[in-house]
Amino acid sequence: MPRIVITGMGAICALGHNAADTWQAMSEGRSGVAPIRRVLPQRLRNPALVVAEISDFEPRAFIDEARLPFLDSFSQYALVAANEAIAQSGLSFRNERAARTAVVVGVGVAGEETREGFYQKLYGEQSTRFHPLGIVRIMGNAPPSQISMTHGITGPTFTVASACASSNHAIAQAALMMRAGLIDAAVVGGTEACITPGLLHAWEAMRVLSPDTCRPFSANRRGLVLGEGAAMFVLETLESAQARGATILAELAGVGMSADAGDIAAPSDAGAAAAMRAALTDAGMQPSDIDYINAHGTGTVANDSTETRAIHQVFGEHARRLAISSTKPMHGHVLGGGGALELIATIGALRTGIVPPTLNYLGPDPACDLDYVPNEARVMPVQAALSNSFAFGGLNAVVAVRKAP
Amino acid sequence: MSTQQEVFEIISKQAKIEIDAVKPESTLKDLGVASLDAIEVIFDIEEHFNINLPNEDTDFDTGTVGQLVEAVDRQLALKTAQ
Repeated sequence: MPRIVITGMGAICALGHNAADTWQAMSEGRSGVAPIRRVLPQRLRNPALVVAEISDFEPRAFIDEARLPFLDSFSQYALVAANEAIAQSGLSFRNERAARTAVVVGVGVAGEETREGFYQKLYGEQSTRFHPLGIVRIMGNAPPSQISMTHGITGPTFTVASACASSNHAIAQAALMMRAGLIDAAVVGGTEACITPGLLHAWEAMRVLSPDTCRPFSANRRGLVLGEGAAMFVLETLESAQARGATILAELAGVGMSADAGDIAAPSDAGAAAAMRAALTDAGMQPSDIDYINAHGTGTVANDSTETRAIHQVFGEHARRLAISSTKPMHGHVLGGGGALELIATIGALRTGIVPPTLNYLGPDPACDLDYVPNEARVMPVQAALSNSFAFGGLNAVVAVRKAP
Repeated sequence: MSTQQEVFEIISKQAKIEIDAVKPESTLKDLGVASLDAIEVIFDIEEHFNINLPNEDTDFDTGTVGQLVEAVDRQLALKTAQ
């Protein structure tokens, strides 16, 4: 079975328009969360709502003008991140590698900006004149299709949808295809552009949006903060990367997936623990091998206490020695793109020995009794790490990574 | 009909229990209304009275249904004042 490594990464989110700026902000504990600008606040239930929006983004600076009319924001973000990741990897696909490369992208809600724009026309303005490219902008498979078209990648190409676990499920699909011998390389990650009036109302109605800010694992945490963006990675075999002399960012050591088979919204510690155990087993790691967990850590009362219980179950005594942080107070909850952005944080910790902090931490909650690296980044060696993603619907996916060999 | 009676009816319907089983000191959790079912009860109450209940007034784990009734009354008073 080939060892799989990551040789390129790209990102765009509220923290920056590339992976370097994004990681810089994460390592300094800077937040991209701010009062909402894109939607008129008086149209929301909570006019003081905060989100992690991408700002000052000029798509023309990143994407061919002729392609832009085909792209909803969620595809733009995916393409920006994929272009960066592929450029960093140094791989080209204009050769026999094209057919042996996959593109797998995690997506939660797809082309919601375009969809809501259409509904505004139809129901708000009573107009039936729709832009002809609506369908190809909205469709959930638009990001992988646009990446494959831009780079000439002709292998297995598709979207994975498992809400907030989509990115990690996508990474798992690519890794498993690579191990099965179907492909030699993959462009993988996740994307989301979910800051739209309709979606914000739907989230507000579910009463999970924080009225103040996102403070995972903290006393007085009151909910999540939405964000948007994408992160993409290039996976290839260790052998291929070494033969090319490529810079290896990290080893993708294992993946674990599970379903709670319980509640549609309330998380289960058993399901989360099963996914973490599966990732460790797949990576051939002991719990004591892990130094850092990039937690799902949404900042809701239920997620953070449940995730803490799950970590106790899997790690036993070692749980107290783990550094655990949630980077969501910085980049927001990016739904289908969340796991991928959090892998940027996890790889950053492996490469630099800086663990990004959990911001906005006010003090301990008895139900969250572990070390969450509160408020300040920490310098410590990180040999191996997990990145957790748990979705509504009870779907869990965990990625295990190891320092570059 | 009093606010309390209207709220209790909505809760009893969602929880599929007799209205007499709903006491002011019960929490929604006590009544077996958890997670999204509890959010739905709040939504039904908001629709019924045409009000918005802030998140602070909807603590399903420790807040009692008596407190929920008080929160509804506060919002109804605000609405009348406007």
